[in-house]
Amino acid sequence: MKLILSTSNIMTNTTVIRRPTFEKSNTELVASLRANFAAHQSSASRSQSPSPRTSSPSPISTIPSFRTWTTQQDQTLYIPTHNPSPLSEPRDAYDITVKLFYLPNIPAYKRCLQTREAIDLVLRELGTTSIDLLIVSFPGISFDADDEDSSDSDLEADIDVVSPKEPTPDSTTITTSSSSSSSSTPATGSDDQESPPEDIPTMLQTWHTLETLHASGLVSKLGIAEFGCQRLAKFLPHTRVRPSVNQINVRDCCVVPKPLILFAKKEGIELLTHNDCTNVLPRGTLRELLGPGGEGREKGAGVLAGHGFEGGLKGDVEPQFVVKYTAVVKDRGVVESKGYFAVAELREEV
Amino acid sequence: MGLLAIGTPLEWPEAKKVASHVRAWGIEQLLAIWNHAKGKERDAMLWGDEIEYLVVAYDEDAHKVRLSLRQADILAALASDEKLLSQGGGVPDLERGSVPENDITAPVFHPEFGRFMLEATPGKPWGIGFKDLLDVERNMKWRRKIAKEHMDSTEFPITLTTFPSLGREDCTIPSYPVSGPKLRSQFVPDEIANPHIRFPTLAANIRARRGRKVEINVPIFKDEKTPWPFRDPTVNYDLHKWPEDDDVRNGAAKENYIYMDAMAFGMGSCCLQITFQAKNIEEGRKMYDQLSPLGPILLALTAATPIYKGFLADTDVRWNQISKAVDDRTAEELGEKPLKNDRWRVPKSRYASNSTYISEDTRLRPEYLDPNLVIDTDLKKRLVEGGMDDLLATHFAHLFIRDPIVVFSEDLKELDLTKADHFENLQSTNWQHMRFKPPPPGSDMGWRVEFRPMEIQITDFENAAFSIFIVLITRAILSYDLNFYIPITRVSENMETAHKRDAVNTEKFYFRKDPFQVRSVEGGAVSGNSRPATPPLLPVEEEYTLMTINEIINGQPDKDGNGFPGLIPLVENYLDSMNVDVETRCALARYLELIRRRADGSLWTAAKWIREFVKRHPKYARDSQVDDEIQYDLVKTVEGITRSEGRDGVGAEMLGRGR
Repeated sequence: MKLILSTSNIMTNTTVIRRPTFEKSNTELVASLRANFAAHQSSASRSQSPSPRTSSPSPISTIPSFRTWTTQQDQTLYIPTHNPSPLSEPRDAYDITVKLFYLPNIPAYKRCLQTREAIDLVLRELGTTSIDLLIVSFPGISFDADDEDSSDSDLEADIDVVSPKEPTPDSTTITTSSSSSSSSTPATGSDDQESPPEDIPTMLQTWHTLETLHASGLVSKLGIAEFGCQRLAKFLPHTRVRPSVNQINVRDCCVVPKPLILFAKKEGIELLTHNDCTNVLPRGTLRELLGPGGEGREKGAGVLAGHGFEGGLKGDVEPQFVVKYTAVVKDRGVVESKGYFAVAELREEV
Repeated sequence: MGLLAIGTPLEWPEAKKVASHVRAWGIEQLLAIWNHAKGKERDAMLWGDEIEYLVVAYDEDAHKVRLSLRQADILAALASDEKLLSQGGGVPDLERGSVPENDITAPVFHPEFGRFMLEATPGKPWGIGFKDLLDVERNMKWRRKIAKEHMDSTEFPITLTTFPSLGREDCTIPSYPVSGPKLRSQFVPDEIANPHIRFPTLAANIRARRGRKVEINVPIFKDEKTPWPFRDPTVNYDLHKWPEDDDVRNGAAKENYIYMDAMAFGMGSCCLQITFQAKNIEEGRKMYDQLSPLGPILLALTAATPIYKGFLADTDVRWNQISKAVDDRTAEELGEKPLKNDRWRVPKSRYASNSTYISEDTRLRPEYLDPNLVIDTDLKKRLVEGGMDDLLATHFAHLFIRDPIVVFSEDLKELDLTKADHFENLQSTNWQHMRFKPPPPGSDMGWRVEFRPMEIQITDFENAAFSIFIVLITRAILSYDLNFYIPITRVSENMETAHKRDAVNTEKFYFRKDPFQVRSVEGGAVSGNSRPATPPLLPVEEEYTLMTINEIINGQPDKDGNGFPGLIPLVENYLDSMNVDVETRCALARYLELIRRRADGSLWTAAKWIREFVKRHPKYARDSQVDDEIQYDLVKTVEGITRSEGRDGVGAEMLGRGR
C-alpha cells in the first residue's frame, strides 16, 4: 500500500520555529507532520465523543483509530485525510518552488514516475498547473564532501576550512540540538545509513526526465542541490536543460568556497541557500512517526502496529520520496503556502 | 517633512477659531480618500527609509564643533547639481530630475525642522526583491557622500540623534542671539528652526496654545562629582523680555533635571523611519497593529541619546523629549486646572506612543483597546455616517481631538475634496510611533504604514541593518500570520521603560508569549473539518508576560515548545522558506548578527558607547558635564566611525570587528 503523508500549509499552522537555524536538519518536516497528525487526531476524537474541549492532550487510550482521521482510496492511504488548499491569487502572482528529495536505496529508474507523482501532488494541493522552479536533491551528496573526494585539491584547497562536514548519518537525520523546539526520533537500524552518492550517469538519467517536464512547460526552471565544482563540471556538459539553481547549505554563512562562486557565476547558475539535510526522511524516523502511540512528543501516530499495539497496519515501511513546496507572492515577499508530502510504501505482512 | 505650502499662516488665537472648520474639512477629505481607495487591491510591497543628518562644522583651530545652520544653502546646492538631477535626484521641494526608468535613481534630500538638519531618502522606493535589500546600505552611503559633497570642507553630515551641546552658548554657526519672538527660548535662537514660515509658526503656535513654553525636563545622570541636588546651572532666572520668561520662575525647571524650553530640542532629533506600502487597506491595518508592540522594543534597541544640552542624561532615548517639545496641551487638558474652556483631559502629547489598534482582525480582543481613549464623538459619527467602520473611525476621531497648529488663511476659502491638505494638517501633526497613511488623492500609491520609533544610528551599516530587519519582520508577520497583540496601554508602558538607561540590557518589557495562536474563525475552514478547534481564550493577562529584549529578539529557552521563539529566529525561518542567494543571505546574516548581539548585550548601543566615550575622556570630571572639547572629540570619532565602521577597532564595542 502507498502511504501519502502531508503537513498541509505549515505557514499558518506553524508552531515549529527552528533554532538555531543554520544547521541542516529535517526538524521542520518531522515536526510539522507530527503536528498535522495530532491536529487531525484530536479533531477526530472530538467528533467521536462530543465531550467538552480539553486543553491537555488526550490520553493515549483515547487516541482514535487511524481510520477515523486518514483516508484510504484504493491502495493509497492519505495520512492524514487530505484536502487541498488552493492559492488565493492568480497564478502569475506567485513564485512556486518545489524541492524533491530522492531518497537512498530507491533505484533510479523509479524516479521518472516519482517526479511526476510529486509534482502532481503539489499542483493539486495548490490548485495550479505549473511550477516555477524544481530543485532535486540526490541522495548522499553534499558539496563539501563531494569536493573533498576530488583529487584536484589545489582548485578548492580552502574547502576543508570553510565548510563543515556533514554530520554522521544518524545526526543528520535527527535534531540533536536541545534548543530546537521539536525533535525527531533517532533513526534506528542500519538500513538508514547514508548511501554513497550515485554516479553522474545515473543522475543524468534522472535529469533527462526533468528535462522532459521542462519541455512540456510544467516546470520553468530546474535546479540541483549540494553540487560542488567537480560534480557540476562533470554534470553540465551532458545536460540539455541546464540547472539554473544550485542550492547549498552555508553554515554560519559568508564563507562559500570562492571557486564554486566563480564557477557558478561563469555557468550562469544561481547559488541559493538551504538547510535541509539530504536524507530527509530515514526509514527509522518514518517508522517512529507512524508507529504505535507512546509517551510524550515522540509518540507515534498509531498507523503502524507494533510493541503490543495491534490496532495498526502491519508490515515494513519504506520511504520513497519527499517533496517540499513553497508558494511566495512575488512582489510582496509573503510566503502564502508551504508544506511537504512524504510518500512511502508499506509492504504488508500477509 | 513635506507639505511646504506657501501662504499666510494664522497666528494662534485666529488659528484656534478655525480649528473646528479645519477638522470638519479634514474629515470630509478623509472620507473622500477612504471611499475612493478602500477597495484598492494587490499593491506591491514597496518601502522607503528616511535618514536624518545633523550638519556639523568643525573649527579645527579652536578644537570646537558647532551645528551649521546652512541647511538652505546645502539644499540649494543639491537642487542645482545637474548630474544629480540627471539621475533623478535633487530636492523635491525645490528641484528634482525625472526618475529614470530601469536605471539607478539618485537619492533625494529634504529640509527638516532644525536648520542644522538634512533628510535623505532613496530616489525611488525599495521593493522586496532580495537584491534591493542589498542596495540599501550602498544607497545610504551614497546619500551621505552626496550630502557631504554639497557642504563646505569643514562641514559633515553625521547621524547622531542630537547634538550634545545644543542649547549651550556658541553651539551654532553662524551664531544668533537667543530669546527670539517665535520660540522665546532662553537657550536657542529662533534661527535654529528652518525659516520656512511653517516651522516657526508651528513652534510659536504650540507655545501659544499651551500658554507657556514647552517644558522638557530630562533626568540628569548622577556621577561621582555631580552636584546634588542638581540644579541646571545654565538656567537664567533673571530674564524679563517675554511673558514666558516667567516659566522658570514658576518652577518649569525641575531639580535633578536638565531643563530645555523649545521645540528645537525635540524636533531637532534625528530618527530612522520606515514606511511600507501594504497590499490593501486590510493588510495595512494589520501591519499597523502588529508592528505597534514592536515599537518600544526597537526604541530601546536603537538607543542613542544619552546627552542633552551638554549634560549626561539618565535616559538613553530621544522619544519623550520630542514628545514634550511639541506638547501643546493646555493646563486644563493636562489636568492641572479644572476643565472650563477645553473639551477633554488629554493623557498624551501629540507626539507619543499610539493609542489605538485598527485592524478588523478576529484576534483583536476588546480588552487590548484603551478604555480611556479620548475621541471626538461628533467627528466619529460623521465618519461612520460616511461609511467608515467603527474601529477606523475611532482611530481618526482620536487623532482629530487635536487642534490644527498651522493654518493658512488661503486654504479656508473652499473645500477641495480632491486634496488632502486639511486631513494632513491633523494627520501629520499627530506624531505617534506608528502612522497609518491613506493614499494621497490623485496618486496610484497604496495604503501605507510608517514605523517611527527607531533612533538614527551612527553608521549606515547599522541604519541599513535596522531598516532591513523591520522589513523582514513585516514579511514574517504576514507569512506566519503572527500575533503580537497585547493591551495597547502596555505598549505605552513599554515605551516609558525603553527610556531607562541601558534598558536594552536591564529592563523587561510586556510581550505576547505565543505569536502563533490560531484565529477563532479559522477553526474548521483551513482544510475541511480537520483543524483543531480553537483552544479557549486565555485571560488577556495570561497572554503576555515581561521579557527581556534578548528574549524578545533572540528567543526564550525552549520550554516544551512554549518559549517565545524570538524575532530573529522568526525572520531566519522566513528566509529559509525563500529562495535567497548566497551573497544576499550572507549580507543579511551580518545585519541580523548586529541585532542579535545588540539584544544579547555583547554589542553596545550607541547610547552606551557614547557614555563610555565621555567617561573615558581625560577632560571628563565625573560631574555629568560634556564640555566643548569632549564634544569635539566625540563628534570627530563618530564621524570617523561612519567610515571605518569598527574595522580599526574604534567603535568595535558597538559594531563588532572584522566584518
